[in-house]
Amino acid sequence: MKLKQIVSLAGKNLLRHRRRTIITAGAVAVGLLMFILVDSLLTGIEEESNRNLIWFETGAAQVIHTGYLAERNDRPLKYAIDDAAEVEAELESAGLSATSRIVFSGELIVFKDPFPEDGSVMVTVYGIDPEDDDDVYHLPQTVSAGDFLEPGTNEALLGAWLAEDIGAEVGYPITIVTRTRQGFYQTIDLEVAGILNTPNPVINRTAVFMPEGVAADYLQMGGAATEISVASELGRTLPELTREMQQQIAGAPNLRVADWRTLAADAVAIAEAKESSSGIVLLLVFIIAAVGVSNTVLMSTLERTQELGMMRAIGMRDREVMTTLLVEAAGIGLLGGIIGIVLGAGGVALMVERGIDYGSLIRDTNVGYRVTQVIYGAWNLPTFGRALVVGVVISVVTAFVPVRRAVRMSVIDSLRRTS
Amino acid sequence: MIQVTDIHKTYHSGDTSVYALRGVSLDIDAGEFVAIAGPSGSGKSTLLNILGCLDHPDQGTVSVDGREMVQLDSRGRADYRRHNLGFVFQNFNLIPVLTAFENVAFSLNLLNIPEQEITDRTMAILREVGLEGMEHRRPSRLSGGQQQRVAIARALVKNPAIILADEPTANLDSETGQAILETMRTLNERHGTTFIFSTHDPMVMEFSRRLVRLQDGRVAGGAT
Repeated sequence: MKLKQIVSLAGKNLLRHRRRTIITAGAVAVGLLMFILVDSLLTGIEEESNRNLIWFETGAAQVIHTGYLAERNDRPLKYAIDDAAEVEAELESAGLSATSRIVFSGELIVFKDPFPEDGSVMVTVYGIDPEDDDDVYHLPQTVSAGDFLEPGTNEALLGAWLAEDIGAEVGYPITIVTRTRQGFYQTIDLEVAGILNTPNPVINRTAVFMPEGVAADYLQMGGAATEISVASELGRTLPELTREMQQQIAGAPNLRVADWRTLAADAVAIAEAKESSSGIVLLLVFIIAAVGVSNTVLMSTLERTQELGMMRAIGMRDREVMTTLLVEAAGIGLLGGIIGIVLGAGGVALMVERGIDYGSLIRDTNVGYRVTQVIYGAWNLPTFGRALVVGVVISVVTAFVPVRRAVRMSVIDSLRRTS
Repeated sequence: MIQVTDIHKTYHSGDTSVYALRGVSLDIDAGEFVAIAGPSGSGKSTLLNILGCLDHPDQGTVSVDGREMVQLDSRGRADYRRHNLGFVFQNFNLIPVLTAFENVAFSLNLLNIPEQEITDRTMAILREVGLEGMEHRRPSRLSGGQQQRVAIARALVKNPAIILADEPTANLDSETGQAILETMRTLNERHGTTFIFSTHDPMVMEFSRRLVRLQDGRVAGGAT
């Protein structure tokens, strides 16, 4: 029997019980809609999170000391780049946009009057060059109160949530207690010059920015910096960029290049978790389809037991009967897939345009992603194709058991069976 | 042509055994118009199923034109039915989503023959059974007699050597039943196709040219 005839027969059988076909396809469509929306949301979050990491924390890649990465969370000053200006100049001579930073941990101490109460909190302090930091990062655009830093001043910028938590305002004095590169305690007195409200929750929650030169003096860095960040370049892939950077530091064996993925291992781990989230949604789709499609095919085969018996009696092979029934199941999956894609496209368009405001949720919770407030979906066209394939494949797979059951019954039993 | 030799068939249900056929032997020549008659439980449907390669005997042989049928595997039996047998069922068993034309053509679709030939042969046989002009009707828009004519056309359209009909008039009124039998006999004479049908209807028995009587799983008359 030709495939065309099998497909035609399957199509007519699907139309036999239109309502049931549509309801089952609808169940598949809802599952696939969930899959498309979750994928869009996670893709959107990931894209924005990656951008916010690059724009506010890591740059596209950094030159760091070879020992720095392993202990990066402790912000060790002992693994600093000694001739930071020289390395930065080398990178810039290759046409790269670079800026050095001194990043260290410290305890931020505030006192009652002008602050509401005495207190302290652990923070990450970024010593940045106010004049060329924006070659790589995007801080100046995020100043929500006060002004950006001036070089050589004892000024600080605070993350918005940190400022809110401690009750800081522009002009308030703060004190940072830390250790110098040699390990001696040091106290740095600064005045809040501005508040930064970035789309990166880590910056908003724990970051204090101060001029790099001032930080270098207090920490006795002697011209050293902890990292030299490089901006991403249009037309240059990340591997090409890091390769170029590697060539520029080839003569310094104690230095290495790390791209933002390496530097932000936590975000990469979250991205991997995203894969399993999609997997869970796919599992849900599978369960919905398994219940819906297998039930529909089971009912369909039970109702048509005699008819299937007749078809086999007049010489239709079991394989052809199975193919016909599986094509019907595939038809349900295809219809469900198409409905799911259409609904999914509408949902994704809405999420891309309007997003979902979950600022209140993320404000006090560190979910790892570098996103705040409104999260937007993203178009991920391969997912639409995948959804269609998944709809068809899952429908066929779940229909297999009732279909096999139908052809395992003897022809005589099938013919005797009343609907 | 058809040689049935010492066929035995027993059905088991729990501890109970039902002896459907007990040593049935029968010869049927090509082109015969044979009724297998007997009361309910006499074994006529079982015999028809075995002749139609739908069931296996426990013992004995069935050969058609010297070819042993009992040895065929599932696919071999399906292929044999596809090419050599036509079936007419008591309750017609048409595919409700297909038109009369499509139901008849279904048999030919299984044979992978060219579409034009399928159309020509299907239209010709529908004309022959008196359904010209009704080829686009679905079964639900045909009377019982018309449905059975479609079923006969479906069985005959592939020019099978044998047509097996299980109580073909049981669901029809006597007038329609007689018309169907006349159609079958005309086709038997015209095409030389062997017709074997089971029945317990006296009218059908009268119509047959040969009557094989079964009683308690044994041939009670008309075996040769």
